[in-house]
Amino acid sequence: MTRENVDLEKLKREIVIERLRQAPPNINISFGSADGKFMNRDELIKEVKSGTVLGEKIIKIQLEYLKAFKTKILVE
Amino acid sequence: MACVLFSRPDHDVILSYLYIYSKELVAASISLGHKTINKEKQYATKRNIVGIIQKQKPELIMFNGHGNEKVICGHDNEIIIQSDSNEQVLCNTITYSLACSSNAELGPLAVVRGGCFVGYESDFALGRDPDSEAVPHRDKIAKLFLEPSNILFNSLLKGNEAKEAVEKAKRKMKENIWYLNTTNDFPEASYYAPFLFGNYLSLVVHGNKNASIM
Repeated sequence: MTRENVDLEKLKREIVIERLRQAPPNINISFGSADGKFMNRDELIKEVKSGTVLGEKIIKIQLEYLKAFKTKILVE
Repeated sequence: MACVLFSRPDHDVILSYLYIYSKELVAASISLGHKTINKEKQYATKRNIVGIIQKQKPELIMFNGHGNEKVICGHDNEIIIQSDSNEQVLCNTITYSLACSSNAELGPLAVVRGGCFVGYESDFALGRDPDSEAVPHRDKIAKLFLEPSNILFNSLLKGNEAKEAVEKAKRKMKENIWYLNTTNDFPEASYYAPFLFGNYLSLVVHGNKNASIM
């Protein structure tokens, strides 16, 4: 991986963490967890910060969502 | 009328939401006159479900449960269907799987020789209002995530084609995403929208997209 790629990955992670930080602490999401539990804001941020598989999925979803506004998929 | 099979485990908090919201689908199936087989809670086992599929050959199946790319689970996360093992039992049926990622690998494999598999290629997200935990059926946030799923299966029950059922569900997801982005009803609404959008992107049909139970 090039230095440029590493920085881009870091930037994506930081964008998602900042977006999640703005959410109220009591948001509750279940997202691919077979343990049957919901996660709150801080638990979601922890997954992203730690770079877990779940954290990477959260980054992907958040960035796809931002891209959707550019492609207008949500207003078609 | 068709034979419709439901697998509805209920052994954790997430599954209890799916269980409660799918009650109306069981009722709808019965009222439409379908032969309805509902295996719920501890009866959503591999032995029961696979046995019914082999003997009764239902035209339409709904799985609630945990899952991944290769499996759909039932009660206590027992694996009911597994790719490269018994996925062929779903051949020639219409299957709707509300189990994370099961339409990534298992779904396409299950319908290689016919049938149709509707489900999610990646994780199914479910939001909830933490203040409604004791009354999931009144949870205004969970409803926004599960209502499109119910619209989809209701459409299949009424004999619509799989691709049409998916289009209806996706339209509702878009409406709900729009609502989450614009409502002042609760301050955290917009933060749920990306997760619902993930469901929108990941819901797909494999196999015969024109399949219906009529």
